[in-house]
Amino acid sequence: MDTREWALVIFTILAQMSVGAFVILGIVHFFASREAGLEEADRLSTRALLAIGPTLALAGVASFFHLGNPINAPQAINNLATSWMSREIVLVIAFSGLGAVFAFMQWRKLASAAVRSTLAGVTAVVGLAMVYSMSQIYMLKTMPSWNSLATPLQFFVTTFLLGSLAVGAAFVANYAYVKRREPACAETQCSLLRSSVRWIALGSIVLLGIEMIAVPLQLAFLSASGVPQGAASVALMYNRYGVLLALRLAFAFVGAGIFALFLYRNSLTGGREQTLGALVYGAFTLVLAAEVLGRFIFYATHIKIGI
Amino acid sequence: MSEKNFLARALNETVLTRRSFLKWSAALGGTAALAGGLSYGLKSMEAAAQEDESEGEWISAACWHNCGGRCPNYALVKDGVVLRQKSDDTHEDSPDFPQQRGCARGRSQRKQVFGADRLKYPMKRKHWEPGGGRKELRGQDEWVRISWDEALDIVASEIKRIKEKYGNEAILCPGGAEIQRTLTLYGGYVSTYGTTSGGTLHSSKTSCLGFGAYNSVMINDRMDHRNVDLFVHWGANGASSSGGNPVYNYLQNKKQGARVIFIDPFYTDTAQVLADEWIPIRPATDHAMVLGMAYTLITEDDPVNNPLIDWDFLNRCTIGFDADHMPEGADPKDNFKDYVLGTYDGVPKTPEWASEICGVDPDRIRSLAIEIARTRNVALCMASATARVMNADSWPQMFFTFGAMTGHIGRPGSFTGDSYYHQNWSGLRCGPPIIKPGSSGVPSVGMNPLEGENVDVWTVLPKVPGIRLNDTQMWDAVVTGKYLAGKDDLRDINIQLIYHGGGATLQTRDGMTRGIEAHRKVEFVVSHSQILTTNSKYADIVLPVTTEWERYGTITAANREIGFVWASQITEPLYEAKDDIWIAAEIGKRLGLDPDVINPIPLKQQIFNQIAGAAILKGDVPYSKSEYEPLVTITEEDIKEMGVEGQPQQGRIPLKELKKRGYYQVPRYPGDNYEYVALMDFREDPEANPLPTDSGKIEIYCKKLADVVESRGWSTIKPYPAYNPAQEGYEATFADWKNKIKGEFPLQNYNIHYPRRSHSVFDNIQQLRRAFPHEFFMNPIDAEARGIKHGDIVQITSKHGTVIRPVFVTSRIMPGVVTLPHGAWVEIDEATGVDKAGADNILCGPVSTGQGVSGWNSCIVEVKKYEGPIQLEPDYKWPQRIPLKEA
Amino acid sequence: MAKQLGFYFDSSICVNCKVCQVACQDKNDLPPHLRWRRVLQYGGGDWLPHPSRPGLFIPNQVFSYAVSISCNHCEKPACVEVCPTGAMTKRSDGIVFVDQNNCIGCRYCEWACPYSAPQYNDIEGVMSKCNFCMDLIDKGEKPACVSACVMRALDFGDIEELRARYGNLAAIEPLPDASITSPALVITPHRHAQASGSGTGRVLNLPEEL
Repeated sequence: MDTREWALVIFTILAQMSVGAFVILGIVHFFASREAGLEEADRLSTRALLAIGPTLALAGVASFFHLGNPINAPQAINNLATSWMSREIVLVIAFSGLGAVFAFMQWRKLASAAVRSTLAGVTAVVGLAMVYSMSQIYMLKTMPSWNSLATPLQFFVTTFLLGSLAVGAAFVANYAYVKRREPACAETQCSLLRSSVRWIALGSIVLLGIEMIAVPLQLAFLSASGVPQGAASVALMYNRYGVLLALRLAFAFVGAGIFALFLYRNSLTGGREQTLGALVYGAFTLVLAAEVLGRFIFYATHIKIGI
Repeated sequence: MSEKNFLARALNETVLTRRSFLKWSAALGGTAALAGGLSYGLKSMEAAAQEDESEGEWISAACWHNCGGRCPNYALVKDGVVLRQKSDDTHEDSPDFPQQRGCARGRSQRKQVFGADRLKYPMKRKHWEPGGGRKELRGQDEWVRISWDEALDIVASEIKRIKEKYGNEAILCPGGAEIQRTLTLYGGYVSTYGTTSGGTLHSSKTSCLGFGAYNSVMINDRMDHRNVDLFVHWGANGASSSGGNPVYNYLQNKKQGARVIFIDPFYTDTAQVLADEWIPIRPATDHAMVLGMAYTLITEDDPVNNPLIDWDFLNRCTIGFDADHMPEGADPKDNFKDYVLGTYDGVPKTPEWASEICGVDPDRIRSLAIEIARTRNVALCMASATARVMNADSWPQMFFTFGAMTGHIGRPGSFTGDSYYHQNWSGLRCGPPIIKPGSSGVPSVGMNPLEGENVDVWTVLPKVPGIRLNDTQMWDAVVTGKYLAGKDDLRDINIQLIYHGGGATLQTRDGMTRGIEAHRKVEFVVSHSQILTTNSKYADIVLPVTTEWERYGTITAANREIGFVWASQITEPLYEAKDDIWIAAEIGKRLGLDPDVINPIPLKQQIFNQIAGAAILKGDVPYSKSEYEPLVTITEEDIKEMGVEGQPQQGRIPLKELKKRGYYQVPRYPGDNYEYVALMDFREDPEANPLPTDSGKIEIYCKKLADVVESRGWSTIKPYPAYNPAQEGYEATFADWKNKIKGEFPLQNYNIHYPRRSHSVFDNIQQLRRAFPHEFFMNPIDAEARGIKHGDIVQITSKHGTVIRPVFVTSRIMPGVVTLPHGAWVEIDEATGVDKAGADNILCGPVSTGQGVSGWNSCIVEVKKYEGPIQLEPDYKWPQRIPLKEA
Repeated sequence: MAKQLGFYFDSSICVNCKVCQVACQDKNDLPPHLRWRRVLQYGGGDWLPHPSRPGLFIPNQVFSYAVSISCNHCEKPACVEVCPTGAMTKRSDGIVFVDQNNCIGCRYCEWACPYSAPQYNDIEGVMSKCNFCMDLIDKGEKPACVSACVMRALDFGDIEELRARYGNLAAIEPLPDASITSPALVITPHRHAQASGSGTGRVLNLPEEL
């Protein structure tokens, strides 16, 4: 069991989830305000937005555990010229900074909605750039099991899949709060909740589809590539982590597939609220577990070219 | 994070490095010297350093171990701490005039001297009392720190008590030249003798050629090696056994276009560089192969049309080859030629006969013989490893016989010899040394009363005098109370005290399982060592001694061309370590002896004597006519500064410069006055230049050898080189030889030398453990048959014990043969009785044959995958042996 | 000042003695598990029953050789490219070294180097690597490994001079293809050396040693 990179598993998962959640929130907010007005859109999404901050902070803390000598951490942005890691760190800082400012402004309703929207848009783009640069770190000639399109693809799938389900889960929690504290808005919120969850479920199924094609395809290419280290990575995946791999796929399938399907139906046909909540939490948990397992396997099975 | 690292480092401190030393002293707000004194008091002695002064001073630092190299070595010392080492760079490097570079072991010397596992204080075994106490706990007991006074009192009183109760014959002292002086003066002790490195060369070479096992007089000078056309390396692996320059030197032979053949069970690291051809051969069967080769030459030789045999040399320079050349009184039927032809025993020693034993294709045996015979300049070189075989007393005789048959003796570009990697060169003691040290001047204390007369134990008749134990019988003698002193001469013996004053006897002699039993039987065991070695692990009292780096200096004998290395003091003695000679004198005092007789000459004076007496061949005429002159120029000032007695003299190099450089080397070139061809005069005129044998010639029929073996009482041999299968050789792997049905121990094991260690020295050094994991080597065919994969932990069992090791599966070793490298410090898991370290002598048993040969390379084993319960960590992760839990 | 310093290694005469590895550990005060220079064994072959003589086996293309490798101070150093802090730098004479005062111990260079030259020092929490003995080089002396080699299989100098003298071969099994990072390395191949990437043997060292 190679658990050496546990810090990176946590960091990348939580950071990507934060970006995904932010972007999805932005999209949902846009459509929600068109459907039910700005105030209701805010009521739907602001608390979820505020949850992203601590998640991202946790990710940052985890990343420090990856370093042997964190006292020099401020130096890590020195090599923007050639190092994707420097770029990623700058973008993490930028995303966190912009995101914090935006969240604060959103929370306190500072400046106009248009200004805030623009800021959110910029933050979202920076966040996506961050995910992209994170994936580019792994495009090393020495790491065949990382150095393919599959890595950025998987990172973005994680971003949107986890991000959207996280948003869904946050919305369910938010709705429970609203039902208790602001019952007048409950009906609107419920409707908004159902709409968002419907789209989130649909998105999950699509993203699952991408994942279920990309993962086996990458393994097949790697096996057949003629690069011994690549084939060895695949062998390692099957031999030592076969069970985990199977669980990863199963959890994803159940969470982002089956649960999502039922979620879609429930939200579309106005099924029981409790069921909807359970399905969302269930899907999120399963997919989180699947993504963590997947990321763990990603780090555990890299085999370097050379000596 | 960094604070945690600092703490973690502090807790795991394994070596006192400069960085850690300074950090510690800074952290403790302490002084520059560690408790126990690492302060360096030599600043007043040295002249300004040539090197970077701010960085410290380079000092010639001893590498004194028994690999035979004893290469120059240098330590950079600053404020009493060794920063790093370097190898020789005292002159430009070239093949003719090479720097004396050393190996990874000597490079790790400072890790040994300053290791955290150095013994700091005298120790007593917790459950010991006079009489032995709980003797069964030897090797697994706890240790208690005691003072020097208490330690010396205990040792002296036990020696006294046991002498008075049982006599001096109860005291066994296998090693320790210093304490042996004390014991000699106190009435004597039982000494031991064994073939050790030389194997059967001892009696065989001495009797048949007249030269001792370690006398490389049969090898031509290294410049002459470049004249060799065909170089046969038989069983030798200099890359592992003789670190430093030897293999580099043999490379020069190859570079001149020679064809090189390696005959060995293993495609060794040396072979991978030098070999044009590798002939795999089973261990302990070399004699059979050479007989097959001799048969080929005898049957195919035609002096007119197909001359293969050098009849001229055989007739003039040897006796016993055929019925017409037998010595007086010998039965003419006992001639070598008829033995080979099978005239009287009905077994012609054909290549087919040989192949069944040695595993070499008979066609190659035949063609190799012819190739050697037909090539003009051939070097036939056997490693003494081939002679470290049970019952192989006749093997060296066989090898030299073949050399004589092919006439490759005593000619430029041709020689037949042994021990040719010894001492970091090639044929080191071939011919007179170019440089030799003087004598230390320390007078002998006389003969050990229990040894009888001063004899050569390898050739003395009617038997070995006195009470001396052969290595292969000593542990049995202790345990059973009986030993064979000669033919039909079984005697009683009652050893109750084992004194390990030096050496690594329990670790390196055959039959360690029995040896441990012996150590748990006697009343008292005492040991000197620097680290908790095997000897000390099984002792009652352990006395910490200094290394050569902690003494004024040392003169180590080195190769022919540099003669010796003068190493100087690097540091003060660590903690309470003392010199062996001081201990010997202190014990002597307590036994009522005069310490000044035991230790009469201060070390400084001894060094001076050796330096003053050092001589160098003038070199103005070819060596055989050249005389010696003093090597070192010594002034009155030198003498005063050193604080010794002596006379000024004129030489080639000033004393101070020699001390700084560590050694003196004469630049050489092909055709210089130091070239030497072994036995050339003998070949030219054997009557005028006889060999030191009874007949003056090479004795293919050697009555003395047969008599010596018979007189020892373990076995008998013929006077001519007949093949005697080893008790634990290839034949013994079969329950049914004829039908080739394997028995209980189907694999042959031998003990390749290993670059991690010089015999057993350095086994504890972690960076060497990291470089050399001490693997057990096995062929894939044998491994697959047992379900074993490369890297698995395997269990290896012989008649005598069991060890476990990680396995290195490789085609580089021939099927049917495995090898467990020599020298790992035994580490027995007492619950299971299994040795985790893979000590060779757990598998090798105390089997006495012939002249009393320790036959490590004849050993049979079975191997299987190990399934537990021991969890075996890689060697470099093992904790160091730190017996006392205090700073 | 040389434009690009590099190492020369003669695999045909290396006897696997590892004095280069140990000399480096000694010179740099390395703990036993850090080996800035390492020696790998590569070999192969098998044994076949003799076609006409039962009980005899014959070796079938059994071969082995050793490769001593440290850092190649590459012309396209992947470690320098990926280092986020710039701690990993290339000097004007081509030497690549890590400034441990700036290193954060993220180990990215370890991922990027096909020779595993940057090694993580878990005691200090930073990366460490062969630095060509630059303190000795700056004094006009030789790297410790070069001075120590008993077979004289190691040399160093300006890479163009080394190439002119010994040729352009920069990779043999088990080393990776030279095109990945353009190592400043020249090798004289062992007579049985196999081309990088198309070997029929394997690294022989025990897994625990690697």
